[in-house]
Amino acid sequence: MTRLDPRTRLALGLMAIAAVFVAREPETLVVESIILLAALPLLRLGKEWAHSFRYFWPMLGLVFVIAFFSFNLQVALLLAIRLFNLLTASFVFFRTVGPEEMGATLNKLGVPYSFAFILTTAMRYVPLIRQKIRNIIDAQSSRGIDLRPRLKNIGNFLALLMPLLAQSFVLSDELALAMESRGFGRKDRSSRRQYDLTFWECALMVGALLLLVLFAFWERR
Amino acid sequence: MIRLSDIRYRYPRTGWVLKGIDLSVDDGEYLLIGGGNGSGKSTLGYICNGLIPHHFGGMLQGSVTVAGLNTLKQNVSDLFVYVGLVLQNADAQLFNSTVEDEIAFGLESLGVPGPEIGERIREISVTLGLEDLLSRSPVTLSGGEKRLVAVASVLVLNPSVLLLDEPYGDLDWAASEKVRQTLLKINQNGKTVIVTEQRLGNLLEDATGCLILDEGKVLYQGIAQHVHEALSRAHLLPNYSKRHNKPVGKATLLSARDLSYRIGEKEILTGVSFDLRKGESVALIGRNGSGKTTLLKHFNGLLKPSAGKVTFLGEDIRGKSPSEMAAHVGLSFQNPNDQFFKYRVKDEVLVGPRKLGKLPGEWTKEMWDVFDLHGLLNRSPYRLSEGEKKRVSLASILAMRPQLLILDEPTSGQDGRFREALAILLAALDNLDFTLLIATHDLEFAHAIADRWIVLHDGRVVGDGSPDALWGDKRLVQLGALPSPEAGN
Repeated sequence: MTRLDPRTRLALGLMAIAAVFVAREPETLVVESIILLAALPLLRLGKEWAHSFRYFWPMLGLVFVIAFFSFNLQVALLLAIRLFNLLTASFVFFRTVGPEEMGATLNKLGVPYSFAFILTTAMRYVPLIRQKIRNIIDAQSSRGIDLRPRLKNIGNFLALLMPLLAQSFVLSDELALAMESRGFGRKDRSSRRQYDLTFWECALMVGALLLLVLFAFWERR
Repeated sequence: MIRLSDIRYRYPRTGWVLKGIDLSVDDGEYLLIGGGNGSGKSTLGYICNGLIPHHFGGMLQGSVTVAGLNTLKQNVSDLFVYVGLVLQNADAQLFNSTVEDEIAFGLESLGVPGPEIGERIREISVTLGLEDLLSRSPVTLSGGEKRLVAVASVLVLNPSVLLLDEPYGDLDWAASEKVRQTLLKINQNGKTVIVTEQRLGNLLEDATGCLILDEGKVLYQGIAQHVHEALSRAHLLPNYSKRHNKPVGKATLLSARDLSYRIGEKEILTGVSFDLRKGESVALIGRNGSGKTTLLKHFNGLLKPSAGKVTFLGEDIRGKSPSEMAAHVGLSFQNPNDQFFKYRVKDEVLVGPRKLGKLPGEWTKEMWDVFDLHGLLNRSPYRLSEGEKKRVSLASILAMRPQLLILDEPTSGQDGRFREALAILLAALDNLDFTLLIATHDLEFAHAIADRWIVLHDGRVVGDGSPDALWGDKRLVQLGALPSPEAGN
């Protein structure tokens, strides 16, 4: 999969997600689930998927329960399975297209480099910001400011927000320095990733698109 | 290679930061630029690669030429080929999502064709020993690894000068040594290297020249071997006074019993046991990643042990929240910026006591004196110097008058003057009968402020005793828990 051109991966991923939306019958959705679950071990993503889904199961459960009491079992199953498929398909998609590849792909598709770059950099800094939030919470609770997510603590959250904002501004300033010092904004950039769409990849995309259209008609017959 | 003559510079809306600097760096030199916080070291670096004036603005007087080019007439994006700058903040320096992309970035800016980029990434990663890191995300790297990747990302462009802004910042002795050897090798291969640093120590052996700045002026310029006296006179090398061991009572304040902590399957702390007696001054020594911070977080309830227990004055603290513990155990972390959210220093310091309902009284007044805060009380904490910020953050913890004061790496990123002042401050707190626990990998500092060392290595206590007995202990050196005493700090 990672040997395919990222444009192909982007197209296939989007079509897989579209297929989840197009499906109407619970049986079709179950077949989709089986296909997706079978793809996980093939892409060696099984363990990671199980890890990420720890946070999604409660959400799926909640959707099922609410739909069951508001509508009926049929609707509840349909919604829960659809959501499950959607999350799994998106997971596979984002795990197989790295941020830089995504940037390079968007760039190839005509999105300006600086815009594509903002997207990839934002993804890079998510873990760092998470770490900063952790540090600030630790520092503040060590001096008696309770920042556990409780209603009575709402007033305290300024103590989290202010240091986070201040440090983010400093970081973005320094980031600008670092980027400029490595030639960001020069014309005639190259990319170390050389992507060439092969004939077979084009055929694969066209084939997948045809299947998707046929599938849509069949579901709506 | 670099010629600066009579440089004066001020940032927009500040006073003069550099006040008449002449500097000439020749091909193949290894120049160390020393000086305290706010001496103008980083500013001088920004001038060399054109970030000043092009990025920062402000007013630059005098002339700057790099490789024969006038920097005023060139863009930063043209100059970066001549002067490769490695910034102090590794998190800003490394902005790509893998090490490989990080190293490729500069080459891509230059428009180097793809296959050649791959080739050059391979070469540089072999030279700096980064082969195993290429597909990793910078977030997952250790401090030393981050620094080497940052060096690679700049060195791969083959600049005429490699300029590093405080590359040793918060590295421990082992990581510092690795970076130091790498830079030495790069210089021996003919590259001009410029390093700004607060702690010169054994770096002086490597350098061919040395420039010491103080408040924007040259304090010393010449060969590196004769710099000690100038540094000492300006207190940039801290002159710690000798400790008078004071008798400690027998009462136990805090004790850890068989404490272990796991994240998933990874054991971070294993069977840690020790007692802290009332009035003791103890240093917790260990390399980065040895588990020091994780251990400290168990003492005020931020973390719960996977096994074992922590007692404070004989009472198990399990189930107590950090905010409940704040009145008894004060824990001050490394980065003061993690806590500032008030407009005035005074309010910032008094946040804790107000939460606890302890009204400012005698102790507050005494504290303004001890921390020398009278002149700062109405200023904004964000606008202080690094040393002042640190003082305010310590005061904000001490304001709650906890019996035990715990500091995590208090000297990280601080100059000699601050370290000397902090040692004096801690001695004063010691006299006021506070119990102190200070986590650090700064051994000279630890020697100056503590009567007892607890050495942590890979999450285990491997040494506990007097500093003189432990520093130089062959078993601990062999284990890698302490550096050999000959190596500078």
